[in-house]
Amino acid sequence: MASPAPAVDPHSTQPLIETLRACVHDVFGTMVGTTLAEGTPLDGDALRPQSNVVGQIGFGGSSSGLVVFYATFDGARAITRALLGMAPQDEPSTPEVADAIGEIANMIAGSFRTRMATEGDAWAISIPTVTMGSDFYMTALTDGRRTMLPFRMDGHEIFVELVITTKVRRA
Amino acid sequence: MRFLVVDDSTTMRRIIINTLNKLGYTEVVEAGNGREGIDRVNEGPVDLVITDWNMPEMNGIEFIRALRSMDGKQNLPVLMVTTNAAKDDIVEALRAGVTNYVVKPFTPDTIKEKIDAVLTH
Repeated sequence: MASPAPAVDPHSTQPLIETLRACVHDVFGTMVGTTLAEGTPLDGDALRPQSNVVGQIGFGGSSSGLVVFYATFDGARAITRALLGMAPQDEPSTPEVADAIGEIANMIAGSFRTRMATEGDAWAISIPTVTMGSDFYMTALTDGRRTMLPFRMDGHEIFVELVITTKVRRA
Repeated sequence: MRFLVVDDSTTMRRIIINTLNKLGYTEVVEAGNGREGIDRVNEGPVDLVITDWNMPEMNGIEFIRALRSMDGKQNLPVLMVTTNAAKDDIVEALRAGVTNYVVKPFTPDTIKEKIDAVLTH
């Protein structure tokens, strides 16, 4: 009979959260050309962002989980315009926004993976999936630790969530 | 100078091409995966290749190996632009025949430095 899944130790996940935060700043500072304002991280289900564009990447290795990027339509369009060098009045297409947000999620998760690898953790990451719409609910079905990092970019709220799944210890 | 940019992300191709244009390089052809990249190389002269790693159909490593097996392409400069930045990844890319490596995210200055480095290699 399997032992109960061990709780994820908050002390072991705090370095992951700090690393992820640094990766988000690096991606936005370098590729989008903007400095993000930060909010207070929130654990668990304390906040489910009102978002329209969600980019998600899984990772696995010594730790497993998800990196999830949330933005509104307006925020995602602003990010897309900045990435593609479009004028403020230009309207990126839906495929352009989906691809841009997928690439943002990919770079955040990829940087995260690389930084964890330099600390001895060998991880693999999945391809990004992007969901867009105005009436959907997303959550990770896990008893692991979830932390939401809020940011602000030029008046747009964006969020990056780190989901660390628990590992089941089998007898 | 004629560049070939190979990446399955249209966003990343646009970012790289915009950067090249700002650096004064306006002759650029694109491909969405390694197989299309080989088609572009067969269609006309290319002076420098910028490629991603993770792509469908034919990934960046497979593309570089195929490129290096083509007549006259052993010394074609190839810059890999990717999120795969662990030491083992870089070693694998160099063994496949990459000339130099850029880790995403990157600044335009980084792309310029790497292009200058591979062209003077």
